Amino acid sequence: MAVHLNCDGSSRRDFLQLGLGGLVGFGLCDLLRLRAVAAETGKKPVNCIMIWLDGGPSHFETFDPKPDAPSDIRGTFPTVATKVPGVHFSEPVTKLAGVFDKFTVVRSICHRDPNHGGGNHYMMTGAPTPVPVGCGAFVTFHPSMGSMVSYSRGVQGGLPPYMAMPSNTRSGGPNFLGGQHAPFIIPGGPNSEHFRVNDVVLPAGIAEGRVSSRRDLRAALDRMKRGTDKMMEDPAVEFDRFYEQGFDLVSSARAQEAFDISREDAKVRERYGRNDMGQRFLLARRLVEVGVSWVTVNWGGWDHHENIATAYKGDALKTLDQGVSALLTDLDERGLLDSTLVLLLGEFGRTPKINEKGGRDHWPNAMSVLMAGAGIPGGQIVGATDVKGYYASNNVYRPEDFAASIYTKMGIDPRQHLETTAGRPVQLVNDGRLIKELFV
Amino acid sequence: MKSAIQTLLLSGLAALPVWQVRASEAAPDAGKRAVTEDVGSLVIEPPVLAVEAGHPASFLVTARRLDGFETDVTASVAVGSSDTGKLNPAGAGVVRGIAVGTASLTVRLGNHQTELPVQITAPPSDAPVSFVRDVLPVLGKAGCNAGACHAKADGQNGFRLTVFSFDPKSDYQNIVEGARGRRIFPSDPEESLLLLKATQTVPHEGGVRFERGSDAWRTLTAWIGGGMAYQNKDEPAVAAISVFPQERRYRKGASQRLVVHARYADGSVRDVTALSKFESNDKQIATVSEDGKITVDHLGGQAVVVARFMGMVGDSKVMVPADRPLPEERYQSLPANNFIDTLAWNRFQQLGLFPSEPCTDAEFLRRASLDTLGLLPKPEEVRSFLADTDPEKRVKAIERLLAHPAWADLWATKWADLLRPNPDRVGVKGVYLLDQWLRESFRENKPWNQFVREILLTQGNTHRYGPAVVYRDRREPAELTTMFSQLFLGTRLECAKCHHHPNEKWSQEDFYRLAAYFAPLHPKGGGISAPISGGNETFFVSAVGSLKHPVTGEVMKPQPPDGPQASIKEGEDPRLALADWMLDPENPFFARAMANRIWAQFFGKGIVDPVDDFRLSNPPSNPALMDALAAEFIRLNYDGKALARTILQSRLYQLGSEPNETNTADTRNFSRSYRRRMAAEVMADAVADITQVPTKYPGMPVGSRAMTSWTYKVDSRTMDAFGRPNSSSDCPCERNLAPAIGQALHLMNSDVLQTKLASTEPQARVQRLAAENAAPPEVVAELYLACYGRPPAADELAVAAGRFPADPKDAAGRRQAVEDILWSLINSAEFVFNH
Repeated sequence: MAVHLNCDGSSRRDFLQLGLGGLVGFGLCDLLRLRAVAAETGKKPVNCIMIWLDGGPSHFETFDPKPDAPSDIRGTFPTVATKVPGVHFSEPVTKLAGVFDKFTVVRSICHRDPNHGGGNHYMMTGAPTPVPVGCGAFVTFHPSMGSMVSYSRGVQGGLPPYMAMPSNTRSGGPNFLGGQHAPFIIPGGPNSEHFRVNDVVLPAGIAEGRVSSRRDLRAALDRMKRGTDKMMEDPAVEFDRFYEQGFDLVSSARAQEAFDISREDAKVRERYGRNDMGQRFLLARRLVEVGVSWVTVNWGGWDHHENIATAYKGDALKTLDQGVSALLTDLDERGLLDSTLVLLLGEFGRTPKINEKGGRDHWPNAMSVLMAGAGIPGGQIVGATDVKGYYASNNVYRPEDFAASIYTKMGIDPRQHLETTAGRPVQLVNDGRLIKELFV
Repeated sequence: MKSAIQTLLLSGLAALPVWQVRASEAAPDAGKRAVTEDVGSLVIEPPVLAVEAGHPASFLVTARRLDGFETDVTASVAVGSSDTGKLNPAGAGVVRGIAVGTASLTVRLGNHQTELPVQITAPPSDAPVSFVRDVLPVLGKAGCNAGACHAKADGQNGFRLTVFSFDPKSDYQNIVEGARGRRIFPSDPEESLLLLKATQTVPHEGGVRFERGSDAWRTLTAWIGGGMAYQNKDEPAVAAISVFPQERRYRKGASQRLVVHARYADGSVRDVTALSKFESNDKQIATVSEDGKITVDHLGGQAVVVARFMGMVGDSKVMVPADRPLPEERYQSLPANNFIDTLAWNRFQQLGLFPSEPCTDAEFLRRASLDTLGLLPKPEEVRSFLADTDPEKRVKAIERLLAHPAWADLWATKWADLLRPNPDRVGVKGVYLLDQWLRESFRENKPWNQFVREILLTQGNTHRYGPAVVYRDRREPAELTTMFSQLFLGTRLECAKCHHHPNEKWSQEDFYRLAAYFAPLHPKGGGISAPISGGNETFFVSAVGSLKHPVTGEVMKPQPPDGPQASIKEGEDPRLALADWMLDPENPFFARAMANRIWAQFFGKGIVDPVDDFRLSNPPSNPALMDALAAEFIRLNYDGKALARTILQSRLYQLGSEPNETNTADTRNFSRSYRRRMAAEVMADAVADITQVPTKYPGMPVGSRAMTSWTYKVDSRTMDAFGRPNSSSDCPCERNLAPAIGQALHLMNSDVLQTKLASTEPQARVQRLAAENAAPPEVVAELYLACYGRPPAADELAVAAGRFPADPKDAAGRRQAVEDILWSLINSAEFVFNH
């Protein structure tokens, strides 16, 4: 394992300065609330596909190349022109450059946590960790955005509102919102012929007829008296509701079809790339299409401390470039982009100077985030870094601003107060400002 | 209509008439009955009024009713004064001091009259209005320093106050000197920005906080005009507050005004009702207005209204009994197995609740096995228990359960939820050692005080001594303080880390004095580093190490909350003194917190609930029972198994879950058994046991059970679906047992269950029952015993047996019937819930 040069940079004071104290509060200043959220209500609900590149992708080799910087900073890749005159990306994302008309890149999100654990938490929840956490950490101190969406929207049509493939992200958990808002995990590789989504489809070898016969038998045998009076707080009543929804889900042809990726047109499957990641993007589209509110695709291995040039020439980038551009095009062609938010990011950017092993280290002072759909303009660059890509220098946004903008797009008030398990009131996002360029 | 007094005289019985009188009334609402009816006596509160010459003071008048209720008649009484030159009535519930001296306050209602001698004192000399004594309470009451407004980290619009005034000096500076002094306009106080904003004379995002001319406004103008004193010389600090009335039985729909007195260090008393903040802990039972008026709704039960003034808290207890109490004989005839029952019946009688019928033998065995061991009883155990005619068979069964080794794994898992760090953060070996240490502790039934002492006094290496890894994870004294106070004292001090606890008395001083016990503890060795902290550390105590108060910078001396300052010898581990204090039988927190945890395991919730949140505003549902349970735990030398025995033997534990007409809405007093979902490990093991197809857990020996897994990273979709806690989540959290859609989907559709049902291993239950020649009713009976712990009823048997093919040679049909019946039972509420 590589040595992480910037792994212990942040002091406790930094976290305090970032505003931990302000998490405490009571809902007095109601006037502040619900402004931008109100503007989003009434529209078709937005679902989100978040592609999470754990480890931290390089902004230099993707959306923020620095062709005029010295060679030990600019790296080996040439730039490519995008659909928008004057805007260039780096060669590894050539296909995305070709569909730049469909998304915005924010080049100026930054924070101060150079550890994987802390960076994941900050970007995934909008809240910094209250204590420094190490690079190996999988921590949750605050609900993830996916869990919060699950909490706000609840279960509709028997579909778990928050799903993650093929595993949960480090800080993708619900924390104090409770285990029922943890993501529903879809493991396995959807490129495989035998791939099936677990639990939401009938188990292998069980025919539909047998299911309805089981359902009848269960109804006849499940005789425990339910406490129908609400005052009784009988958990069996909620249990029944989930079973009804569960049965609806397995008997809904539309939902069942959505889970079955093998029914997808072969050409479409090709377009996303016949590999597990590409097919996960495709499955994510099918899931939001039937109403899953938040799908996270968790993709690890983006921590290139060595030989970054080789890595970014390899399969991962090809898969990413092809898969994400296919996803954006496909959503657009199906008229789904207006109601689907697409996010592509990791926990931070990479160091400008290429190290002696040909890699780049952790760099939270600048990162590029791809954001598309849900009314976000296409072909837009928001913010900038300095000429050498060291620091977000123009129109700088914090993770709080990022999270507040996502929540607002999802129709959730980012300033609302929640109560932790300990009864402490916490603001969902602490003083996030909207990234205004996403709301034009 | 007979008056209450007539009824009393006629019947000559104390118990019955209460019930009869109330039952004979058309409506029990307080509002429907004449205020002068059935008055027993009048009482004036507070017993000592705080009246200063020239100032108003509040009082309450209570009518004690013949039926045992008390009602607020302050607004209905005629008020008189023996000397109006000294004391003058000034509206409902208010008198005004005119001149120094004594006078008598008289109140009259119908034929009843009472009086109270009152001392009218001189107001505090001509001392100017003080920021600390007078202004801060006004800002607090107006909500200016709430966390969502000016007490946010960066303040609001550039104006910053500290949450609940935890740093008065900084508040003073921000008001007087902040924004280059433009908030204050001494030459024309009324034009100060502070006042113009608060009255919204100029635009204020927070709206109108108080009106021009109000008491709050006058205090602030007087303070500005008087030279803006920070504090007067020898100004006494607030010592305590008292709330009147302390406790009251309410009729439904009744209301009650509160009076709050603050007592200062110099013995002076001040009426601070208007400056106090009020909050009800159960708004369904009782609400409270901003000026301290309680209104009781139409639901029976109990609530607490907390008053807060300058970091001090006081409470007024609200009890709302049922409309129609049952006769006392009903309770006296209830059998009691031990003190738990006696105290529970007492409480039920006060609240008008009546316990549900006792549970059946089958329900008892299933419930007790799940609660004691996390296991379902095996079919043969159920059969022999049901067949046993010994009247003491429940007592015998309890002993069998308590002797079972699964006891240790269940409790180790429960404590691991609370203590176990994430192996990715602190390393695998340390976490594994902690797991082993926990299991061993409960295997040997270590007394709980010793168990906690060993954690508290941890020294040594994380690769040798289990509890050391807790310190590797919680590296700062403040983190340990938050965790240990919540786990071992049942007190959530976390708020007090950054500011005075919002609804408790705990201050930052309390927090950092407790944290100071851990200051001399240091690690040596590899710290936490990327990516999987495989290194180890040794924790040792040294003479160096102190802790400073984050605001005042003062070095904190170790002192327990509400306890005396510790006397610690030079060079001694201060944690010894902490353990001695915490584990002393006189300690007001420890035994209660631990006994409550054990109780919650058997009843699904604590007498104080959440179990780690003891506070004035979250009182026990049955205070006498909480006290007695803690006393019993101490008497039993903190033997967890022995306390479990007492609980299991109680009749209260053995109640059924079906409600009766009195207790449908009771969700706190245990008058019926509350349904609770099986926990993740219990569910995973139950499915393996019922199907007789063990689950193979990666990285664990063959035959390992879910309840023995040492980290949440042991792969199990069943445990994930049923909410096993993830140790990467920060907080020593209790499990959330709420049903979730993922659980229903998992039981319905997962390959995990289907593979077990379809298993053709010879020991698998479905395989065996499908292959055997047993008649369908016998097969159904075995499945019922395995899942529900009871035999099927005749009609259930008919339905289930009807699933078998008519042709006995149809092997595939028979197998399918067995699979489908078992699938149906596992997917039913009677299986998923412990009831």
